[in-house]
Amino acid sequence: MSIYLGSFIIQILAFGILYWLLKKYAFGPLLSVMQKRQESIENQIQTAEKNRVDAEQYLKEQKEAIQAARQEAQQIVENAKTSSKKEAEEIVRSARDEAERLKEQAVQQIKHETDQAIAKLREQVGSLSVILASKIIEKELDEKAQSQLIEDFMKEVGDRL
Amino acid sequence: MGHLPPVWTPEWLPWFQINLSTTLMTIVTSIIVLIIAIAATRSLTSGVPKGMQNFLEWVVDFVHGIIGSTMDLKKGAVFIHLGLTLILFIFIGNLLGLPMNFITIHEEPFTFLGQEIVTEQMIHESEVEHNGHQVVELAWWKSPTADASVTLAMSLTIVLLTHIFSVKYLGIKTYIKHYFEPSPLFFPLHLIEEFAKTLTLGFRLFGNIFAGEILIAVILLMGFAGIVPLMVWQGFSIFVGAIQAYVFTILSMVYISQKIQH
Repeated sequence: MSIYLGSFIIQILAFGILYWLLKKYAFGPLLSVMQKRQESIENQIQTAEKNRVDAEQYLKEQKEAIQAARQEAQQIVENAKTSSKKEAEEIVRSARDEAERLKEQAVQQIKHETDQAIAKLREQVGSLSVILASKIIEKELDEKAQSQLIEDFMKEVGDRL
Repeated sequence: MGHLPPVWTPEWLPWFQINLSTTLMTIVTSIIVLIIAIAATRSLTSGVPKGMQNFLEWVVDFVHGIIGSTMDLKKGAVFIHLGLTLILFIFIGNLLGLPMNFITIHEEPFTFLGQEIVTEQMIHESEVEHNGHQVVELAWWKSPTADASVTLAMSLTIVLLTHIFSVKYLGIKTYIKHYFEPSPLFFPLHLIEEFAKTLTLGFRLFGNIFAGEILIAVILLMGFAGIVPLMVWQGFSIFVGAIQAYVFTILSMVYISQKIQH
């Protein structure tokens, strides 16, 4: 074994050149690409984490919204129930009032018509009595008989009314 | 056996000896690493990675794990390129020597770029015979890491880098103070430690891979009987190669982390 100084020095130079060439043309770009990939993966992990948190937030919000909607629906149903009950009562009451009113009216009308009928009858009776009187006069009744007749007649009429 | 390394020595710079096969394999290994790395990062996507990109990202994660096990990852992130270059170069280098060898046989002196690599004297002294002639066999293909020049160059680079990082991260005062802790008596120990680090880091890798190649050469001498042991040993050598690449990388990171911490 012997050391050849020329080979020794050439080796150092060759190694230096190889180092420089590898750094410039092979491993420099490769390392930067690996660095880039590492960064992009870190970014993706961060984004995923952020998305997860967001999703949880949304889920929570959705749950709250559903809860609120359910409560609102409950409220609406409750309101509808009470208002319908109230309305039904209203309807019943107004129907009752109406019926009462109609009855009142009917009674009033009946009374009115009765009065009218009585008045009409009285009138008729008057005219009839005139006719009767004239007829009796035509027959020339005696005064006694005539007055008896009128009295009976009047009595009769009075009783009938 | 008896293969010689093709050593090329420039006349004007006699100490600058180059083992041509080692340097060739260093360049081949670097080119293969570059091709794999660049081919795998041609169509990068920050989406779902596919095929080669997946593999390379696995390597990056693996080296990340190595750095993370030795120091704080925030401080250590800048060393990822060093760790990746180390582990890929050493692993590919370790594997390259396993599948084949490439030998040239020289009966006559051989000249490369004006310098004689095989001389008359070498042929004369050679014990290898081919077709009744004395020849010199040169081995051209091997693991670059099976040469101490390469592994020591790398370990020295790493140790020097640890000192540079230490000064950069802790400041020159703390850096010097560390040599005298916990007491000034430890100064020689610290010096020896730095020296030992360089040697052990380099020689561990060299020894493992060189021994593996020697054993392959020995098994090849067995002829056809050696096919099964060769397969077993080559399989084991892949394992050793991977382990040594891992060990070299993690030790480098340990040395760096020792130097950049208070």
